[in-house]
Amino acid sequence: MSVTVAPDVSAAVKVPRAIFVPWPMGHHFGVPFHTEMQRKVIMAALALLQSAPVSGTIEKLAIPWLQVRREARLLSEQGKRL
Amino acid sequence: MTEAADANPPTEAADPRKTAQQLRPGLWQTINERYPGSMIRKDQPVPLAALNKPLAEARLTLISSCGVHLKSEPPLDVCHPFGDFRFQRVPSQSHHEDLIIHQLKYPHDDADLDINVIFPIERLQELVTEGVLGALTPNFFSFIGYNMDPERFERTVVAEIAAAVAEEERADLALLAAA
Repeated sequence: MSVTVAPDVSAAVKVPRAIFVPWPMGHHFGVPFHTEMQRKVIMAALALLQSAPVSGTIEKLAIPWLQVRREARLLSEQGKRL
Repeated sequence: MTEAADANPPTEAADPRKTAQQLRPGLWQTINERYPGSMIRKDQPVPLAALNKPLAEARLTLISSCGVHLKSEPPLDVCHPFGDFRFQRVPSQSHHEDLIIHQLKYPHDDADLDINVIFPIERLQELVTEGVLGALTPNFFSFIGYNMDPERFERTVVAEIAAAVAEEERADLALLAAA
């Protein structure tokens, strides 16, 4: 299973199943030290592995980038290095 | 203004950062115009392969185009105009401190701070410890996602990684993360 930030590219190469994260290139699993978010993407991919009904299934993880950055700022304020 | 437009006035939700849409829409088209013939396109879907055992008994491998490698090893060639048609193995028990990224085609400032942003090796190690996954393959795989000859790329990098995943690492499932 794939994790993609560009579902149009994934659709063109016809990957069997992919989780689409609407985040910038280079941030497929979120932001530094946000272990919960990184894990959430992996778990979404593992779930899709078992649930995708047909080849070509692209499922969106509908978490906006602004929310991810906001949570990153909170982590930074809690002392994580960002 | 048309009647239809009146019924659906523009909203602030058009900002993709807020609406969970693709941040760079039309990326495939854009790259194909700038680098004609460089993109893989398939006409037939890749058949689904079912996982034939529970996740807690399955062995996972990770494959990424992010260009990560052990600091102790030389990087692939990031300057060749056609790309480097090789791949590198990354021991799956490595940690952030052991690894470095050599890639010019995507921003990896955040991944330099925490490799798990693009190559979630430590999160996968934790999932094995917790029993969510059965095991990791001894090695993961990394290459540079800039190759100007997609047919050669499939003949070399793709075929060699696929063979290694199936025959050497004996993975039950693969997580692919394009950078």
